[in-house]
Amino acid sequence: MKQAGLDLGSVNTKLVVLENGERVYSQVIPSRFDSVQAGITLINSYVEKHGEKPEKLVVTGYGRVNFPEGRVITEISCQGRGCHAYFPEQMYILDLGGQDAKVIKKNPAGKVVQFIMNDKCAAGTGRFLDVILKGLDLTADELDSAAAAKPIPINSMCTVFAESEVITMLAKGTPKPEVIAGLFKSTAKRLANFVESVGHPECLIFTGGGAHYSLLVRFLEQELKEKVVIPPEPEMTAALGAALLA
Amino acid sequence: MDNRELWTALGMDLEKHDDFLAPVPAIFTSLFLDRPNRPNAMGYFDAVVGDVHGIRVHELYAQKEAGAKVFSTFCVYVPEEIVVATGSASIGLCAGAQYTVSSGEKVLPRNLCPLIKSTMGFKLDRICPYFQVSDWVIGETTCDGKKKAWEILNEHIPTYVMELPQKKDAKDARLWEEEVREFASFIERETKVNLTAENLAQGIQTINNKRQALQRLANLRKHKPAPIHGLDVLLINQLSFFDDPVRFAAQVNALCDELDLRVKEGIGVAPVDAPRILVTGTPQPLPAWKLHALIEQAGAVVVGEETCTGERYYKDVTEPADNVSDMLTNIAKRPLKVNCACFTPNQGRMEDITFMAENLKADAVIDFSLQFCQPYGVESYFVGNEMEKKSIPFLRLESDFSAEDQGQLLTRIEALLEMIRA
Repeated sequence: MKQAGLDLGSVNTKLVVLENGERVYSQVIPSRFDSVQAGITLINSYVEKHGEKPEKLVVTGYGRVNFPEGRVITEISCQGRGCHAYFPEQMYILDLGGQDAKVIKKNPAGKVVQFIMNDKCAAGTGRFLDVILKGLDLTADELDSAAAAKPIPINSMCTVFAESEVITMLAKGTPKPEVIAGLFKSTAKRLANFVESVGHPECLIFTGGGAHYSLLVRFLEQELKEKVVIPPEPEMTAALGAALLA
Repeated sequence: MDNRELWTALGMDLEKHDDFLAPVPAIFTSLFLDRPNRPNAMGYFDAVVGDVHGIRVHELYAQKEAGAKVFSTFCVYVPEEIVVATGSASIGLCAGAQYTVSSGEKVLPRNLCPLIKSTMGFKLDRICPYFQVSDWVIGETTCDGKKKAWEILNEHIPTYVMELPQKKDAKDARLWEEEVREFASFIERETKVNLTAENLAQGIQTINNKRQALQRLANLRKHKPAPIHGLDVLLINQLSFFDDPVRFAAQVNALCDELDLRVKEGIGVAPVDAPRILVTGTPQPLPAWKLHALIEQAGAVVVGEETCTGERYYKDVTEPADNVSDMLTNIAKRPLKVNCACFTPNQGRMEDITFMAENLKADAVIDFSLQFCQPYGVESYFVGNEMEKKSIPFLRLESDFSAEDQGQLLTRIEALLEMIRA
């Protein structure tokens, strides 16, 4: 039997298909402000390759309520389930998605027992990092050298204010790598506080597109003074969880 | 006089008022009237909302023509018994609309509680006939935002401020009793009616009857399946501040009679296994229906409100007494049993919440805080800890009166329900 999980995110839409519990297909495409259409495209291209629709489908993520088929489950439960497949021993999850950040606490059975999400603000979300990094017009070299740079503190966590703070620093001649390092460090600090408002993990699972920023991961480990683990393809765990729940 | 003549007489901005009220009928129809299985006795309350800026305002206007005054309040601590005793009217004011928030921001900081901004906007925009028909606003010092906003509001309407203490020690009770006595003298002066043992006893009785009717309604919600939607009860709680207290109590009791029958026959508005939610925290003033609507849209049922538009308003009554002085003492005692986050410390509130959660068989608690509400926002830490200690699933939500975050709120609510059901 084939079970599919479709995660209709604000930035990317993801599909995972399992056959007898084994992953047989996984695909990501940009949502382009229409995650429902992106989801339909993903399902269609799966059907083209494999001939038929998966028997079971769970849809999750921001666009889930508008998707024409499948059982709807929130990304919180799906994320918990997906992470449990990789890290059954770890209880705390930090998910840094495009539109929101969340901390989830699960129990040893993989069931979500507590969660928090950022409120009414882009601060500390993937979008925040994207906006600022895009504004910096970075080269790959600059991003690499940020790893060795001394982070300059960035105080504003409002996306708009932080952007103007960054512009002021660059105008004053602060080297770009220091600004980038500062951006990741201040985001890590905020995320660490966010995690600790729920609890004090011995080891934190980090998911979502934000987990791809290795410098952010390093600063997060420093701030939490704990180990951070990242599942393979950290942006796919909610879709995987959805497939497992299907 | 028809409604428009009345509104003109009250100096309202008719154009803006039309614009404000235009979407209300459609919203009210979809949120309330279209829902199946509502008790018949909701008809009265629906009719009140159907002409929310009409009938009741006409009554108040007529009362004024006959020589009475109208006093407007924003808080469950204000002793309305005293006002009612003199034959004048005590009403609560609209404070839960996004529409007026931006006008409020003309004179108030943006990062201030939306309830205060909405209130201020209603006055500046002249679109609330209750505000316009009022002679006085009775403010109180429950938070810094309100305390300072009264000074600005006083430029637009005479505002009397009662000082509520911040602790509950003996000296605080003495201060509050003195405030209540001063307020009584102020009301006597303004209404030119002296308080007597007869009229004050009647005032206490009238308001006690109203609170007891609301208690009776609240207590019916502990049954499984829930005999009434939380959203309908929220509406009634909101209207309790506006309506004529005697007629209102009679209508609430009539509703309770109908609900008694439902309970006996096992009839409910939601399946017997629908998750039951207790809402705690800041008030949902009219017309703030968003939170309850979303919770019930997600398939749960709200079984109680530990808020000012709920339990805090009616949980205590005033003890009767033989003479005016003792009555005033007892009137002062009631509010100090109410556990608002403006008090420190406030452990009593944790006990209230735990008791309600158990009594109402709540499956989870949603602690709601209006954005920028410092007392409830900070106290949410203790609510969360207490719920964890009691192993009651808990969700903290923060929002305002706008509609734009409904999707985000619904995601959180649905995740909480998945957590309970899993």
